[in-house]
Amino acid sequence: MTVLSPGANAPLPSGDLTVLIRHGMIPGAEIDVSTFLVTGTGKVRSDADMCFYGQPSVAGGAVALAGASGGETRFTVAPSRIPAGVERVIFTATIHENRGTFGQLSEMEVQVGVLTGKIPCSGRTETALILAEVYRRNGSWKIRVVGQGFNGGLAALATHLGVEIAEPAPTPAPSPSPAPAPAAPPSTVNLSKVSLTKQNSTVNLQKDDGRFGKIRVNLNWNQKAQKTGLFSFGSSNIDLDLGAFVEMRNGNRSVVQALGNAFGGFGTPPFVKLLGDDRTGAVTDGEWLEINGDKWADIDRILIYAFIYEGVPNWQQTDGVVKIIVPGQPEVEVRMNEFGDKRGMCAVASLENSNGQVRVSREVTFHKGHKEMDSSYGWGFRWTAGSK
Amino acid sequence: MALSLSKGQNLSLSKTDPGLKNILIGLGWDARATDGQDFDLDASVFLLAESGKVRSDADFIFYNQLQSGCGSVVHTGDNRTGEGDGDDESVKVDLAMVPTDVQRIAITVTIDKAEEKRQSFGQVSNAFIRIVNEATGAEVVRYDLSEDYSTETAMVFGEVYRHNGEWKFKAIGQGYAGGLKAMCHQYGINI
Repeated sequence: MTVLSPGANAPLPSGDLTVLIRHGMIPGAEIDVSTFLVTGTGKVRSDADMCFYGQPSVAGGAVALAGASGGETRFTVAPSRIPAGVERVIFTATIHENRGTFGQLSEMEVQVGVLTGKIPCSGRTETALILAEVYRRNGSWKIRVVGQGFNGGLAALATHLGVEIAEPAPTPAPSPSPAPAPAAPPSTVNLSKVSLTKQNSTVNLQKDDGRFGKIRVNLNWNQKAQKTGLFSFGSSNIDLDLGAFVEMRNGNRSVVQALGNAFGGFGTPPFVKLLGDDRTGAVTDGEWLEINGDKWADIDRILIYAFIYEGVPNWQQTDGVVKIIVPGQPEVEVRMNEFGDKRGMCAVASLENSNGQVRVSREVTFHKGHKEMDSSYGWGFRWTAGSK
Repeated sequence: MALSLSKGQNLSLSKTDPGLKNILIGLGWDARATDGQDFDLDASVFLLAESGKVRSDADFIFYNQLQSGCGSVVHTGDNRTGEGDGDDESVKVDLAMVPTDVQRIAITVTIDKAEEKRQSFGQVSNAFIRIVNEATGAEVVRYDLSEDYSTETAMVFGEVYRHNGEWKFKAIGQGYAGGLKAMCHQYGINI
């Protein structure tokens, strides 16, 4: 292993690279890791050169966000496919809404193969940091550890790199009426996130052509082994499963979930597909559902739920969060933070076709099982016990 | 386009520009664009005898002693921020006036308070050294150091030296830990 300090550079091995950023966590703040493809002038060619949670693959997949959880974020970089004209791929970390500073961490690491860049953080006041850059040099690629940044957070960093940022969503005022999502100008990247809360429980996502692209739904949770008691020797991993009820415009209804191997379909009805079920803990970014938003006109409503397949329900420790990522729209986040409930099933969010818009509502209601949730939402499936 | 050297390469100044009498040694780097403490880079010049040491403290030209004892080397002054295009600091040398027992002129750059500010050359963008014919303004040779440094706080950028009766320039790019003090010690200046 070779350790690089800020300022140090080293040649990279040829071939595709995995860049692992160990940024850790700051209590009460969220760290976002993004990459920017910049030209020789240090600016992006367009907003399509920013790879982040709202745009996880750029330059035809040459740079992609491969996963994030537990204080780590992984990118894949295929240097041979990076377009000519892009001189550097810049890796950055920012603190969402500047709710903390990087001084709250002791250090961050950037790892590529045997190279580990270590960036000391104590005493820092920045809320946006350039961690490292992968750059062309005499026909091959090198990495430089940087460790410099901005106190003004993502906005200052984005300006430095030539990205125009859409205005953040206005702070939601407590109001019973649904607040429409701000329509972002088409030339800017929308970095705002919408958190649906009890007070602000609905958002409408609108697109003129009614085609929403690939809508991605992620369920993530605290997967750390939890001790079951103070003197207990046993511990168990929590396995949360993600699923959906889907009703089409023509009245057909289906269940998409791993239980019963009902993984659904993306190109075929119900146009909702569950991407594998990870029970090994190897996948650290939780479970993913994909909704074919180009077929939104055929879909009437979707209920997204999470359930605990094994283990004792403890929603507080599980700390689950569902994110709904619609291309070009603010990311919608729903936290399962109504604690103290011992029932193993949680209806998290609903997506309804409201005159062609996607109306996302926070549910976060708890149920004993599929049947009870079904009846409280009026779907009318027939249920039998099953196992994976 | 002037000649550009890589680390370790050298070039005969006398052959490249036969009319060269007075040279301007330009040193540059980019000001930091990020937040945090500015980089204050200081250029210093050491006139070295055959032994590789200065003959006296008068052969050390830096921000507090802008001219050599012999008068052949003049530092044009400290730039505290690195702002502006082109050279950030420069040193003028009248080659004919350089005492005959001075064999080499080492041009160095150090980062002021580097340890305290946790700064190193790797965080400085686009550092270069260039030799300009002061009479014509033409650039004779240049060396871009940006790939040749990382965690150093003091660096020898280049050397102008005598070789078989002519003046040559060598791209050095050699770094030292310990800042200007270590550099002085290396060249026989007692602080």
